[in-house]
Amino acid sequence: MSINEEHPESSPVVSRRALLQSTTLGTLALAGMFAEHRNAFGEEKGVGESPLSEKAPHFQAKAKRIIHLFMNGGPSQMDTFDPKPKLNELDGKPLPDSILEQLQPTQRNRAGNIFGSPFKFSNHGQSGLPVSELFPHVAKHVDDLCVIRSMQGEIANHTPGLLLTNCGHSTLARPSLGSWLLYGLGNESDELPGFVVLCPNGTPTAQSRNWTSDFLPGIYQGTHIDSESSSKQLVANLTRDDIRSGTQRAQVALTQFLNRRHSQLRSGDERLESQIHSMELAFRMQRAGTDAFDLSQEPASIRELYGDSIPGKNLLIARRLAERGVRYIQCYHGSGQPWDNHGSIVSNIRRLTKDSDQPIGALLTDLKQRGMLDDTLVIWGGEMGRTPTIQQVKDISKAGRDHHIDGYTVWLAGGGFRGGMAYGSTDELAMTVAEKPVLLADFHATILHQMGFDHKRLTYRYAGRDFRLTDVQGRVIHDLLA
Amino acid sequence: MRIAHLTTTATLFLLLGMYASGQEKKQLSSDFFERRIRPILVDKCYECHSEAAGERQGGLLLDRQSGWLEGGDSNRAVVPNEPETSLLLKAVRYEDAELKMPPEEKLPKEQIAYIEQWIRGGAPGPVVDLGDSEFSRLGDQPYLFEKSKSHWAFQPVVKSNPPSTDFKGWNKNPIDRFVAASLKANGLAPSPTADPRTLARRLFYDLTGMPPSMLQVDAFAKDFQIDPTMAIEKLVDAIVDSNEFGHHIARMWLDVARYADTDSFYRPDTRTPHYFPFAFTYRDYVIEAFNNDKPYDQFLKEQIAADLIGFDETSPEIAALGFFAVGPHANQAKDESLDDWIDVSMRGLMGITVACARCHDHKYEPIPTADYYALRGVFASVNRIDPLDEKRLPELAGYSPSADAIADYEAKRQAIDKKIKDASGKKAGGNNLSIPEKIKETELAELLLFHPGAPSRAMIVTEKPKPAKAFVFVRGDAAVQGDLVTRKFLKILDPTQAEFPEDTSGRKELAEKIVDPDNPLTARVMVNRVWGHLIGSYLVATPSDFGLQGSAPTHPELLDWLAADFVEHGWSIKQLVRKIVLSRVYQQRSLHIDTMAAFDPQNLNLWKANRKRLTIEELRDSVLAVSNEIDLTPRGRSAELWGEGYTHRRAIYGYINRFNLDPTLRAFDFPSPMQTQPKRDESIVALQSLFTLNSPFVIDQAAAFVSLAEFRKCETNSERVNIVFSGIFQREPHANELTRVLRFVEQQEEFASKTPQTTRFRNAPWELVVQSLLMSNEFQYVD
Repeated sequence: MSINEEHPESSPVVSRRALLQSTTLGTLALAGMFAEHRNAFGEEKGVGESPLSEKAPHFQAKAKRIIHLFMNGGPSQMDTFDPKPKLNELDGKPLPDSILEQLQPTQRNRAGNIFGSPFKFSNHGQSGLPVSELFPHVAKHVDDLCVIRSMQGEIANHTPGLLLTNCGHSTLARPSLGSWLLYGLGNESDELPGFVVLCPNGTPTAQSRNWTSDFLPGIYQGTHIDSESSSKQLVANLTRDDIRSGTQRAQVALTQFLNRRHSQLRSGDERLESQIHSMELAFRMQRAGTDAFDLSQEPASIRELYGDSIPGKNLLIARRLAERGVRYIQCYHGSGQPWDNHGSIVSNIRRLTKDSDQPIGALLTDLKQRGMLDDTLVIWGGEMGRTPTIQQVKDISKAGRDHHIDGYTVWLAGGGFRGGMAYGSTDELAMTVAEKPVLLADFHATILHQMGFDHKRLTYRYAGRDFRLTDVQGRVIHDLLA
Repeated sequence: MRIAHLTTTATLFLLLGMYASGQEKKQLSSDFFERRIRPILVDKCYECHSEAAGERQGGLLLDRQSGWLEGGDSNRAVVPNEPETSLLLKAVRYEDAELKMPPEEKLPKEQIAYIEQWIRGGAPGPVVDLGDSEFSRLGDQPYLFEKSKSHWAFQPVVKSNPPSTDFKGWNKNPIDRFVAASLKANGLAPSPTADPRTLARRLFYDLTGMPPSMLQVDAFAKDFQIDPTMAIEKLVDAIVDSNEFGHHIARMWLDVARYADTDSFYRPDTRTPHYFPFAFTYRDYVIEAFNNDKPYDQFLKEQIAADLIGFDETSPEIAALGFFAVGPHANQAKDESLDDWIDVSMRGLMGITVACARCHDHKYEPIPTADYYALRGVFASVNRIDPLDEKRLPELAGYSPSADAIADYEAKRQAIDKKIKDASGKKAGGNNLSIPEKIKETELAELLLFHPGAPSRAMIVTEKPKPAKAFVFVRGDAAVQGDLVTRKFLKILDPTQAEFPEDTSGRKELAEKIVDPDNPLTARVMVNRVWGHLIGSYLVATPSDFGLQGSAPTHPELLDWLAADFVEHGWSIKQLVRKIVLSRVYQQRSLHIDTMAAFDPQNLNLWKANRKRLTIEELRDSVLAVSNEIDLTPRGRSAELWGEGYTHRRAIYGYINRFNLDPTLRAFDFPSPMQTQPKRDESIVALQSLFTLNSPFVIDQAAAFVSLAEFRKCETNSERVNIVFSGIFQREPHANELTRVLRFVEQQEEFASKTPQTTRFRNAPWELVVQSLLMSNEFQYVD
């Protein structure tokens, strides 16, 4: 990668690190911290050479951070943001042959009868974009939402969909978007990992492959936190309270002295360097992490806004992490694939949206009132959508919808995306993309663009080849941008 | 595409009218196909039988000549010049009730006549024939079988003569000679042998998962100076025969066997997992099998079919059936657990991804759906005994808890039994679940799982009284039954596919097929696993996928030689391990060399040893080993690894909650026990450093080190530094390390002297020093 060579000193953001370095060295405590910092691993290699130090992107970025609300399992587009009155008209009827033959083979074989959405849509905001009754809180922000209704996946299943959405390839192991961003931008925060994955009660399907750094250095991997942990600490072993912080700092410095000597004798092993950085980060994470995860510091009004629920806490933590300079925060709805509503979709989707609507609305309100929505990109969506046809046929009350990749919906808010618009469309039966298909590579290219990168130039040489997130595809969709 | 087709069709129909019909020629041309036949096919057939529609139902493609000549699942569709023997004509004439095409309605007479005429005229293909394409080959089982004929993993294992080499000292062990040949061919050279301390640490870690003591290192170094080869052999023999060998290598197997102490689902009301209180007896079986060097073929046979090969419920070997019984089960339909059993025995034991053939013929491997259901028939004939069924799970001999433990267990048991009895017939208010059931699944299960005085039982599976009839489930849907399939082995490995006996599940026969010395996969897969475990990189980078989609071996002759030698030596794991660690390849230095790395950055050719990072189990055991707090008692129940009252036993005895995997284990890439795991990932995240920084476990053990007699008898700080370094790193400190540690200690002492003693903070500098070393890279990496 040639980011530094091309844009040596043109950091558009005044980072926390830069601020500290330039203005606060006179402050004793902080000066002490930095002295220790250098002592710990900065003597030979300057702080600026850390693989996590902040780097300038290719050009001025519109978004500085991303909060990705991942509705894992694949939310139904026609029950949420892509109304299809025609489906209600034809509810219970088989799909016309002309449509059937256009289907992906796996879908055709299983396609049941047409299943109109039982949920009411109404128009909201000045833009008048329709949102279903399932999202009353989100609907209030519709003028900030850039709704893409024409997403196209590759393979209609969870693991491939998750990997494609997160890492740009359905089957092969590749670094995740968050890892690419950290690699390209470094970490704004000295004290927290730059890429945090929050998932209540475990991990999503495909587990850590969703946030892998793969061939990028391990230091760019996402840090997974089980945000429903019942223990006092969300992060295991986050702190110890039986020694002073200064004592521990001296202890870490001793370890890093040993590590430095150890790695000098063992050149060429990047893992050893990564471990050194990881130890530094862990040390600083103790205070920052305790602080970031401590929701009791929030005023009651804010806690009420998000709601006293797991998703509410999850998103409030996400906002606190965003404020503290975490680049990419991914919030999964829950472990496994909760939005995978093959059966009983009506009751399930009610429950899922009841859980998540208020917190998402709260997050948008909260970011806006803090002026953070301008440079924070919020993404909502899953790894695919669902079929307009019924899946479970034996008992109509337990009807569900199957996997669907040809035309599903995601939305983006903030980060320089144009609000109050819908982009692309599906046909009147929601079977396929009717116009303006968006591939995940396009989606990634556009997100990288808003983060200040030309997706074709954010590359990493591995196994004799320059790799990039979008591989050989991807175009920036300027129509989505404000 | 659709529109294009319609336009073409319309045009062609128009054209059709312009030609006189019924003119028969001996041999027709492609023109006839394009004008008369293609329009019919486009209109009525391509929806299901063309690449354009992405559809190939019944395996038949009608958009190319090869498509109808090769035909589909039923047979050849068209025999040129022979309309009466061509299935296609039969189908369009609606002659056979089972085969009516197109299914919606019969073609008009004229069209059938055209088809007949076309076949009689030689059934010419399109003007521009698609020929074979990636699509036509996807799931094309005949093609995949053909391709498999030359696929390395399906070839018989051939033990070729190792080539000789002029690398000094590399001509003795065949492993070295094979590796030398590939080094040479790539213009690379091997690294020198590592120094004795490095070797001792490497051998101890790779073979026991724990570090040697300084005394052991010194003794080895002394022997090494006299005769390196003798010294290494002596050390290897001693370690391989130690009890700790099995405790380490068994963990590798438990990854494959997706071992856990609970099921994958929980009780919604209590949010406690469904416990497997007796899973531990399977773990003990595995550890002992490795320690006793049970021949690997026998090891597999027992795990698959102990009950059918002469072991009854009084035999310790019956615990081997835990291989199936400890798998994830409760939150899944029966089909899913059968899928797990197929997956663990095929992918886990033979590196072949059969489970993909559940819904359709395998797209990429020579595995027809029928093979999947043939195996499913085997497992559907097996009963899984409820993990809490104390009547049906046999008690194992050889566990002798103390009288006190038994008494304590009995007392607690009686109390719980009474509680269950008192609650008889009661249901909980909110959820209407049975209270006795709840007590049984929570309190009683926990007592059975953790209490040392509880009986030890085997988690078994049994034969169903009558083997199940197996049907293909069309597209994996149990509601749509297809053909009846008999129970038999995979076609790719057993072309005749002799049927398993009618009166049993066929597990015994399945086991025999798997361990048949002529099976080209089983031995290769296992030697590759052991190789990866010891060398730190695999000969086949996809250890559970040796199929067409898997990686090719970096050293095919070596892999084969190892596999053949393994079988020749009675499937002895210890023999295999010895051979690998006694090689020069294994004993090389792990240092980076620029000139070599420039050509082979991933060390695929093995020009150096791989530096290995400790797994979480190794890290935990090492911390306990250096503080001399480790409890090496073999066998027995699982215990909590961290938290209040954590066990001091080896990490392999840790309690594994499948439903909610421990966060520390998860942070250190412990593999998910939801399915068989090919190998471990390796990540570096801050959560791991937080563990060595702040976990009460590490802090406690650092304190324990300082209370060791050896440490306490030191008189000077320099002596103390020496003890700390030799205890933890098995080496003496270098001068600058000594100075640095002494400075740290002085500063801490000075600080402590100025601080009132009444604070909650610890000031003891030596505990911090010890922990500093436990936090270091040197402690967590093995050169």
